[in-house]
Amino acid sequence: MTWTIAVGVKQVPDADEVGIDPDTGRLDRASAPAVMNGPDRHALEAALTIRDQVGGEVIAMTMGPPNATSVLEEAVAMGSDDAVLISDRAFAGSDTWPTSLTLARAAEALEADVVVCGEETTDSSTGQVPPGIAAHNGWAQLTYAEAVDARPEEGRLAARRDVEGGYELVAAELPVVVAVAFGEFDPRPAPLHRKIYGENDFEPTVWDAEALGIEDEVGLDVSPTSVGRMETVDPVERKGEVVDEVDGLLEPIAEVRA
Amino acid sequence: MSDDAVDVGEYEDVWVFVEEHGGEVMPVSWELLAEAAKLTETTGDDLVALAIGEGLETVADEALARGADRVLVADDPVFEPYRADPYGEQFRAMVEERKPSIVLIGGTHTGRDFAGRVAVPAHAGLTADVTELDVDDEGILQARRPAFGGDVLATILCEEHRPQMATIRPGVFEAAAPDPERVADGDVVSVDVVVDEADAISEVLEREVGDTADITEAERIVAVGRGVEGDLEPARRLAEALDAELAASRAAVDEGWVDGARQVGQTGKTVRPDLYVAVGISGAIQHVEGMNKSGTVVAINDDPNAPIFEHADYGIVGDLFEVCPALADRLEGEPIQEVTG
Repeated sequence: MTWTIAVGVKQVPDADEVGIDPDTGRLDRASAPAVMNGPDRHALEAALTIRDQVGGEVIAMTMGPPNATSVLEEAVAMGSDDAVLISDRAFAGSDTWPTSLTLARAAEALEADVVVCGEETTDSSTGQVPPGIAAHNGWAQLTYAEAVDARPEEGRLAARRDVEGGYELVAAELPVVVAVAFGEFDPRPAPLHRKIYGENDFEPTVWDAEALGIEDEVGLDVSPTSVGRMETVDPVERKGEVVDEVDGLLEPIAEVRA
Repeated sequence: MSDDAVDVGEYEDVWVFVEEHGGEVMPVSWELLAEAAKLTETTGDDLVALAIGEGLETVADEALARGADRVLVADDPVFEPYRADPYGEQFRAMVEERKPSIVLIGGTHTGRDFAGRVAVPAHAGLTADVTELDVDDEGILQARRPAFGGDVLATILCEEHRPQMATIRPGVFEAAAPDPERVADGDVVSVDVVVDEADAISEVLEREVGDTADITEAERIVAVGRGVEGDLEPARRLAEALDAELAASRAAVDEGWVDGARQVGQTGKTVRPDLYVAVGISGAIQHVEGMNKSGTVVAINDDPNAPIFEHADYGIVGDLFEVCPALADRLEGEPIQEVTG
């Protein structure tokens, strides 16, 4: 038996390229190039690792506008066998509740045995979507995963999870949602022929809300949370004094310790 | 108003999840109790602590001592060690039966792991990584969290759904001090355990927890970043001379040089020591956000343009492998060896 491994990827503004708007002094995210969420590359690597262990198919899925196809092309270049674009205006304004519902239904439609995600996205950093997918489907979950061990003979996937102050090894029944811990699973480079295939020949499957049967369960209306005020955070005032030698630090340190 | 919106008037009380593993309570739990007590002062609700685990008598009493009016206890071997599915199912059953208005959970790996397994089936609002809390006259939780890398504080609201849930970053609030005399006045309520081991879909095969250092309580911290290049010795030596805890930026944790329990910043902990010494840390906003409540900040970095210097009271531009030992020597009363910097 081989496994179907779905990978959730997201297009986000490039955190390294977010500039400052010269007029307002605020972060200007709109002009930053759109790229694949960094942690998702590691999720893809974990998915490919599981495929290496057990055999099967890796299918990337993303929720986003049509131009989010570029992150799917990248996923295909890295080694995904196929990819799905889930795109619909009805998704606008979705918080993590309908977002995880959408990905949960897509994972079901793909008959996924495993769903792999990054720990969180760099643009909203809630980390809520992977457990949300598992919760919507009543599936098991393995978050903060540092290593994976497919056990097809048991119908389970085991993962080493990072927990405060140590680790644990947990085996979960399929289907299971895995969220990869930051910094684990260094992504493999995409071979040139896959890049060319991804960019030139590959076309993703496209699903809208209706295809997943959730047209009345997504968007702003079903999102429990909303964003109220946004306030600028005033930077903490610091002395900013640069000293030339370590002795210059002794007095301030002595004052603190007094 | 959406179809799933609820009658918010049916929901009352503020719940705080007390996270414990084998009898050890995560300090963030007591921080939440203190902060939740401020909310119940405004709303007039009861402050309810909730503990899930095995053998929770001491934990329940401590929750009362630290400010809870009532403790709900789900005590069963199925909950030890922690697993997302039994915890989520039990917590969800309690929420659906007892209808709390607000539920606060520590933003630890455990809290962030299972919170969604409660919020999703309950169709509750769940705000992540909250650093400021307030409640308005109508009982609407004002959950503030840093957005856009810490540049902006966004207020997240949940107006039509209940409960209003949030995971709270550890270390942001001061812990509640225990008052043993409170214990006799509080109630410990044992709740029905709705989870059966036979239904569990996960199994903990090994669990190894060693370094559970709580850097959030440290008075002095020496934190290392990518600049230490895997060599912690100079920073350790300096930490010893200062009687300080060792901490790290995310870069140093990702490299595996320091355990994640000691990570400072947006995805780690918030610290507020009297003295924070940043060694080889560039000073990304995500890091600064976790340490800018510190008293005096000292930066040691060989790059004069590193942003950390803008967030430091005192900086020294120099090779940390020379500066740290020299500073440690001087702190230990050694004569000046060689001027560095």
